[in-house]
Amino acid sequence: MKTRGLTVFIQYVVSIVIALALCAILVSATGGSAGKVFGALLDGSLRSPGAWGLTITTAAPLLVVAVGTIVGAKAGMSNIGQEGQLLLGAAATAYVATTFDLPGPLLLTLSFIAAIAVGGFWAGIAAVMKFTRNVPEVISTLLLIFIASQITTFGLTRKWLLLSEENTSRTNNGEPLPDTAKMPNLHIFGNLVSWGAVIALVFTVVVGLVLARTTLGFRLRMLGLNSRTARRFGVSAVGIGGGALVFSGAAAGLGGGLWLTGGAAGDRFTGAISSNIGWQGLLVALLARERVALAVPMAFVFAALRTGSGFLAATGVDRRIADVVQAMLVLALLLPPAISSLQRHRKGSGMAV
Amino acid sequence: MTTAGSGPTEGPAGSAAGVGDTSPAPAVRLSAITKRYGSVVACNGVDIDLAPGRVHGILGENGAGKSTLMKILIGLIQPDEGTIAIDGDIVTIADPLAAADLGIAMVHQHYSLVEPMTVWENVLLGERARLDRVAACELVATISDRYGLGVDPLARVADLTAGQRQRVEIIKCLRREPRIIIFDEPTSMLTPAESEQLFSVLRTAVVDGGRTVALVSHKLDEILHATDEVTIMRGGRVVDRSATSSATASSLAQAMVGRPVSLRSEAAALGLIDAAAAAAAFDLDDGPALEDHAPVVLEIRGATVLGSDGHKMLDDLSITVRAGEIVGLAGVEGNGQRQLGDVLSGLVHLDRGMILVSGKEIDTAKPGDLTDARVGVIPEDRHDSGCVLDMTVAENLAFGALTGLSRNGVIDRKAMEVRAEELMKAFDIQARSPNAPMGSLSGGNQQRVVLARELSADPVVLVAAQPTRGLDVGAIEYMSERIRAAAIDGVGVLLISTEIEEVLTLAHRICVIHEGRIIGEMAHHEADLERLGLMLGGVSA
Repeated sequence: MKTRGLTVFIQYVVSIVIALALCAILVSATGGSAGKVFGALLDGSLRSPGAWGLTITTAAPLLVVAVGTIVGAKAGMSNIGQEGQLLLGAAATAYVATTFDLPGPLLLTLSFIAAIAVGGFWAGIAAVMKFTRNVPEVISTLLLIFIASQITTFGLTRKWLLLSEENTSRTNNGEPLPDTAKMPNLHIFGNLVSWGAVIALVFTVVVGLVLARTTLGFRLRMLGLNSRTARRFGVSAVGIGGGALVFSGAAAGLGGGLWLTGGAAGDRFTGAISSNIGWQGLLVALLARERVALAVPMAFVFAALRTGSGFLAATGVDRRIADVVQAMLVLALLLPPAISSLQRHRKGSGMAV
Repeated sequence: MTTAGSGPTEGPAGSAAGVGDTSPAPAVRLSAITKRYGSVVACNGVDIDLAPGRVHGILGENGAGKSTLMKILIGLIQPDEGTIAIDGDIVTIADPLAAADLGIAMVHQHYSLVEPMTVWENVLLGERARLDRVAACELVATISDRYGLGVDPLARVADLTAGQRQRVEIIKCLRREPRIIIFDEPTSMLTPAESEQLFSVLRTAVVDGGRTVALVSHKLDEILHATDEVTIMRGGRVVDRSATSSATASSLAQAMVGRPVSLRSEAAALGLIDAAAAAAAFDLDDGPALEDHAPVVLEIRGATVLGSDGHKMLDDLSITVRAGEIVGLAGVEGNGQRQLGDVLSGLVHLDRGMILVSGKEIDTAKPGDLTDARVGVIPEDRHDSGCVLDMTVAENLAFGALTGLSRNGVIDRKAMEVRAEELMKAFDIQARSPNAPMGSLSGGNQQRVVLARELSADPVVLVAAQPTRGLDVGAIEYMSERIRAAAIDGVGVLLISTEIEEVLTLAHRICVIHEGRIIGEMAHHEADLERLGLMLGGVSA
């Protein structure tokens, strides 16, 4: 078991080194300096003052999305529509935050409840289609992203919905959030860390405990691992499986609320606000291989890549090069789990002979 | 192309007039064959000679190494050590194509036929040359006539019974005029009458053309009926070989198991048709008087389940089981047993009919309702609905008992482990620890976990579907004793089995299922093999 852990670690190191080497070649070939690029990546994510605070703030929504996804996956539900659920969650947060005039904590709480409800509802549509008409949730959750995007785009054309009263930009933007709806920050060694990160961590711990220690978690895992055995022992696929799918959507919705109010995404709702946070949360869940505890470091790594490459672009490196560098590193992180899953499959089929 | 095997030179020394050591080089000589999988030695220095013109039985329990040996012979597996000689020439059999070139063919336990296609199309499957329908039909008819197979070349495979399908497989095999034919557990899907026919085909193949036939089986009866000589394997080694005429059921059983056997519960395992006699000797009506007095614990009334194409998988099936009674549901595989097992596991909703447990109607649409009514199930395929391989042994033992092992929805892991340790002890489950993954256990131990869980839930009804399939003799004996003990404790047992011998040894009452219907029923003491055989074939008698 220990040697297996070591093997996986070496796989990670090797694949990251290869990715960095390929990036270095690419950057040099396009006339840049590899050293500067990597330096900027590190500066943006960790090294420069305030950087890791921003990274942690960015990690919070990723973590929440990933943990929700893990709950769905454990129950055998493949939700891949987090991007849309998160977008709608952010929109609901923006609507509540800019519509109601309430004291800070109450306003934030209410906006998050709206985000959770809307995200859960969006995944719930897929759940209803699955259990009444047998529509695979992989397809329905994916396609619902596009509808979610259309809905928010529409919302941004109506002032009574999301559009700002004094919108001057050519792309329609939402009303700036009132200060009462901005998540307060913790000040740690000169870094600003959003309270959203605390919420995300508490959420992760609670979900981890429920999965590992309660009868609900037990039945949920049973359903995901062998639905027929689970059914025989009274686990309802509709109740627990559908519930897990709705929960994963609700988590993505909450992720949208945290992302919008955390400050790292600007001060207002825009049509492009989700900017792959949902997809990356899904990737974090994949990389964590359904283990809630592993999602924490993975979310941090993804957030670091995000803030690092954002900073990289700010230093004048072509945005597209920065994107390629980020994508390469993500691929490098995906490689070891892919290898071990391949090995498992080969072993499985080998034993069947 | 000449008809191979008809050459007079091959000397059909075939009549079973005793084992001749006069024959020249054996058709096949396996010498010191060893095959290892990690630390497991599947075959350990096996020597076997297969003489032409003879049916050679290879007898052994599951895991004795006989399948591995045969896979080596047809080139699916390469041996680690040892040599194969065909007619005295040492050969390397790299793959099944090479084996085919050497005239070696195998009729597998599981058929590989394309159901929507006709017999002649299936026979020509894989042929690269131009397809000639008339010639192909003629070929099928010729072989069919020569061996008395009675197969219509124009029939669709989907419309054929298991026995007929096997005959199609045999034609596929024979048309290449192989000199050496391996039959792997050929009767597992057949009725007794079909088995008899198969054995006469084997005999024809041997006598007519001096072919060599290897019959791989774990059933004593089959070996005694159909072979000329027998090699017995145990734990990867050859432990005995003899002429079948000089062997008896008990001598073979003893060699196969490695200790004297009582031929009681093991009789079922070993496939003795005269198990009926053995069972009669063992008085089944020993227990408390049950007929009429004992309450009905399970009643299935007019159960009908439609397949996706509207075909009736279960057709107005009714059965009652009384407390303390073992009802055996016999039948050839694929006649609705799987669906009935699923219904009683709460996995399939009845389209018509109802199920009553202890007189109370069950809602088959509600997950777990049958389990809540204390219907225990040992499913036909434990991996499908009996256990979760990726959860621990302790967790698998806790299914259905979670309420007692938790407080306010929080599981008491300690209590779960303690309970698991108790059950592991009581049911002799071999596992590293209660926290070992279920998938790390051997099949027999997984089956014990299922049994332990179902019996510890204090069931009123126990459904045992093929409970001993794939288990070795010791495990079969254990399982049979447990089922019998459960019945003595007052559990109503429904034993669904394709092994007639198992049903005959265990059941008080025997029902026969055919195409989803009960077509006959008899009490154990009036069991009549001939009538049973007819019913298995679908004739109500």
